[in-house]
Amino acid sequence: MRLLVVEDYRPLQQSLVKGLRESGFAVDSTRDGREGLWYAMSNEYDVIILDLMLPGVDGLEILRKMRAQGKKSHVLILTAKDTVHDRVAGLDLGADDYLVKPFAFEELMARVRALLRRSYREKNPSIKIKDLRIDLTTQRVWRGREEIQLTPREYVILEYLAVRAGQMVSRSDIWEHVYEFNSTASSNVVDVYIGYLRKKIERPDKPALIQTVRGRGYLMGEKQ
Amino acid sequence: MMRSLRTRLLAGIIGGMILLLIAFSLLIYFVIRSALVNQFDTALTSVAHVLAASVEKNPNGIDLEIDIQQMPEFTNPHRPMNYQVWKLDGEVISRSPLLGTNNLPRFHGSLNKPLYKVFTGPKNHLYRAAGTMFLPTIEADKPEVAEQTAEQPLILVVSHDAHELYEQLNLLKWLLFTASCVNAGLALIIGGYVVRSGLRPLNTIAAEIAAIRIENLTTRIGARDVPMEVAPIKERLNELLSRLQASFDRERQFNADVAHELRTPLAGIRSTIEVTLARSRDATEYQTALSGCLGIAKDMESVVNNLLMLARLEAQQISFKTESVQLSELIDFCWRCFSKKADKRGIIFENQIPSELTCQSDPEHLSMVFSNLLDNAAEYSNDKGQIRATANRSDDSVDILISNTGCKLTAEQVSKVSDCFWRGDSSRSDAGIHCGLGLALVQRIVKALGGTFSTELNEGGIFITKVTLPTDGQKTIAA
Repeated sequence: MRLLVVEDYRPLQQSLVKGLRESGFAVDSTRDGREGLWYAMSNEYDVIILDLMLPGVDGLEILRKMRAQGKKSHVLILTAKDTVHDRVAGLDLGADDYLVKPFAFEELMARVRALLRRSYREKNPSIKIKDLRIDLTTQRVWRGREEIQLTPREYVILEYLAVRAGQMVSRSDIWEHVYEFNSTASSNVVDVYIGYLRKKIERPDKPALIQTVRGRGYLMGEKQ
Repeated sequence: MMRSLRTRLLAGIIGGMILLLIAFSLLIYFVIRSALVNQFDTALTSVAHVLAASVEKNPNGIDLEIDIQQMPEFTNPHRPMNYQVWKLDGEVISRSPLLGTNNLPRFHGSLNKPLYKVFTGPKNHLYRAAGTMFLPTIEADKPEVAEQTAEQPLILVVSHDAHELYEQLNLLKWLLFTASCVNAGLALIIGGYVVRSGLRPLNTIAAEIAAIRIENLTTRIGARDVPMEVAPIKERLNELLSRLQASFDRERQFNADVAHELRTPLAGIRSTIEVTLARSRDATEYQTALSGCLGIAKDMESVVNNLLMLARLEAQQISFKTESVQLSELIDFCWRCFSKKADKRGIIFENQIPSELTCQSDPEHLSMVFSNLLDNAAEYSNDKGQIRATANRSDDSVDILISNTGCKLTAEQVSKVSDCFWRGDSSRSDAGIHCGLGLALVQRIVKALGGTFSTELNEGGIFITKVTLPTDGQKTIAA
């Protein structure tokens, strides 16, 4: 899943990016409001973590312009402003969640996951496709009773396909949601990771979970 | 002792009214009494004149030439009038028939100015009497009588029953007393009502003030129809509330700003630690995380130190020493910390303060002032810009001006730069270093040193800070 962090306080920005990346997210980040606005308008992020007091353009202005342009990314406002008025202003402008600093990193992660589930209309933190089970909270995967060990990148691709189960997902879609803006990886890397995933989750005696749609992309589960 | 305004007003009004009533009642009583008694005495005097005129001296003695029986007042037994005539030796010459053998009190004045007396007569009635001395008339056809006898004055006392007069006066006395009591009672009731309704606006205001709490300081006293005398009190109270509200707002804003300033670095520390502890890492990663946290802690320490300094300056808990300070040298010393940063951006610094210029001040705190100003100038000057320090000396003060080019603030923003936590940009990316406390601190330190601090924006984006210090450290410059 691809996230954008717009936070001007360097130590906080660095730790957020590090923590999110280590959890398997593709994270773009900036400390400048103008740059943050450009990132938000130019890409499709699953979740944007947005500070309010920013140099250049403030967070509320970024949010207003995003919504005015029809950008549907989920926005979590992360700020030191804690009054009811501030929260109401942020939520009324189209933010999906509001978290006041200082915060527990675990709580931020939980809120990000909740927003991601909302992105794909998935309320259950556990996805089941045939006998494959994915726990979105702990990021653990089972096939039948057997737990499957995945790398963070493999897990993120599997999760993205799972939350969009029944839909055809293109390579570029996958790439955009699991790789960062500055990533130099080509879209072929998606095929490589799909290959790794298949080796780990498919069983010769069981029906295939990931199907290739020739020339278009991949499909997980039954087609809707 | 608690003194009730209502009691005082009531006591004053009622006491005053009672005193006035007593005074008026006494005046009325004595005026009426005097008029009635005068009228009574005038009647007595008239009768005395008639009787005196009727006393004639003839060769046979002295006779009363009037028929008393024809005068009803001397024969009315119910309200008798009596007279008695004496010679000077006490021999009774004549008396009214109703007296019988009784005597009237003997006293006298002159015929024109009789003496009057009150005495108790029959039936315990009070009588008024007029006593005169006169010479009897000599019969005109007997001039020899006058020749034979020397002039012998006689004493005439005329009395009349004054029981009715004194009864009427008594009645008048009681009437006036009763009227006074009733009036005093009515005055108490009416006065109480008037005082209560007069003080009602005060009670309304008191109730409105009592309802005002810290949470609703925006409320104002809105009592309508307030009397002219109370209106200024209401207005002053509303002004006081406005000042109080502004003071509370400033305090709330300051507390919110402090909390806000500390929240973001705290979030940085917590997030760094939590992310680091989320998994097992090598020593270098732990070292990086710890060093990041140390940097944040130093930023926070800077904010806290500035806040503490501000609080101590406000509470006047900082002692200043006074010694001769060479200003040019101090500015050069302060600039050393920022010269490297400025050089990198091609900023030129010119110290044009004459080397001999000195003032009596505290060098340690002055260096804090100039360091803050030079730091700001180096931070906000444009690349390849210019920072200049100049000074003007007058009789008892010296102006030190530090200017920098490339200011992007508006004139309105420049007027706010000395406010606590104010920043030209809403970001806090450089928290702890430029958290919006520097110029607030400068302003308060300069004030504590007896000087003034101001900022201005010149055409061409030149931002100028001016520190005016007294040359004699013991004096203060008026703002």
